This record gives sequence, structure tokens and C-alpha cells, in this order.
Amino acid sequence: MKRRLVVLAVAVLIAWGLKRHYAAAGADDLGWILRPTARVVSLMTGSSFALQPGEGYFSRERLFLIEKSCAGVNFMIAAFGMLTFALLHRAGSGVSVVRLLGVTLFASYGAAVLVNATRIAVAMWLAAHPVLLSTFSAAEVHRVEGIVVYFGGLFLLYEVARRLDRVVVAASSTVVVEAGL
Amino acid sequence: MPWGRVCYPFRRAALPLAVYYAVTLAVPVANGVVLSGAFVEHALVVLFVPLVVITVAWIAWVSAHALVRACRW
Repeated sequence: MKRRLVVLAVAVLIAWGLKRHYAAAGADDLGWILRPTARVVSLMTGSSFALQPGEGYFSRERLFLIEKSCAGVNFMIAAFGMLTFALLHRAGSGVSVVRLLGVTLFASYGAAVLVNATRIAVAMWLAAHPVLLSTFSAAEVHRVEGIVVYFGGLFLLYEVARRLDRVVVAASSTVVVEAGL
Repeated sequence: MPWGRVCYPFRRAALPLAVYYAVTLAVPVANGVVLSGAFVEHALVVLFVPLVVITVAWIAWVSAHALVRACRW
């Protein structure tokens, strides 16, 4: 129980640190997440993005700027918190605690890049086809699209984590049975 | 349809839903965001849309399973 509280406390510190970094950072300081996001968006849409120092990544052909607010750091923090809580039962030894936090941080970073890139690609597609949803304003469509993609991504990540966790537990049990323990 | 079956997809999505609501609503409110009409409208959309996503995803999942079972017959 104490170890789990320590894990939660460390996770809160990491999340707080990420939030502080994001609040103070400019677009150039967020290259660690903006660059791969722009790369994945480029692969999804076929449009090239070039770095605009101080602003973000810009596509001249689509007139679209991936700037600081598009970084997906808030999603990453939410995903990290969710995964840490969902996999808290894996916090056994000190090594397993470090492994748990490392895996959830890495997984939340990867998920943030993928989900955020998907969100941006969908937003670019909707911007290029405004007639389809002409009943609603562009801002309303963008908001609903953001909620669907972000929540859908979070839910999918949770389901994948649960299934992988069950597979790992089943594999461990098989090894124990086969070892005759 | 039993009530438990109806609630099942929402129970299963409880953690991601709670995390999403916390990040998009609870944290801004705790940080002192002004509860203007625009924020209330935004909050209602944020509260409602994920529930629709869960419902649609569950219907699609159940339908896909039923289709696979029917094809096996």
C-alpha cells in the first residue's frame, strides 16, 4: 500500500513537472513532441511541414501551423495518469516501480504523438471540406472533433493497456506452471 | 435489456472518462476559470460527447460480435 502511494506521489510530481514545462515552454522548446507529431501528420496527410523557428511546424501547401497549443502535452499528462493508476497493481519491488513509471511515461508519449497527429489530420481534412458540416460553425466542429479523438484515444489506450496487462499476467502464470512452481 | 448490461460500457470506461473529465473540467475549475456562459456550454459538450462515443463504440462492438457469430453458423 505504501509503495503504491509512493508511485502515485511520483506520478503526480512527473505530471506537475510536465505541466510546468509546457506552460513555460515556447514552440522551439517543445520540439521533443512537436517534431514527431509533425512527421506523423505529414505521413498521414501527404503534406510536408517545415520548422518555423519560434512558431512551430508550418505547411505551406495547406496553410496549417502545428503550434504550441497543438502539442498534445495535456493528453500526454492525462494518459500518463490514467495508465499509472490502471497498472498500479504492478508496483511491487523498487525495480518494478521504476519500470512501471518508465513504461507508462513512454506509452503516454507515444499515444500523445499518435492521437494528436490523428486529431490534426482530421482537423485539416475538415478544414478542406467545410461544406460537409455546414450546419455547425468551424469552431464547434473543431471542438467536437477534438473531444471525440482525444477521449476515443484515451479509451483505446486504456483498453490496449488492460489487454496487454492480461497477456503478461497469463504468460507469467504459464511460465510458473511450466517451471513446476 | 437488463440495467446492468446497459451500464456495462460506461462502467468499463469509468477510468478514462474520469481522467478526461478531470483534465478538461475539474482542473480548469480548480485553477479558477470564470464560469461564464461560454464555459458552461463548453462543459456540457465535454460532458455529453464522450458518453455518445462510448455508446456508439459499444453498439459497434456488439454488432461486430453478433456478425462474427452469425457468420460462424
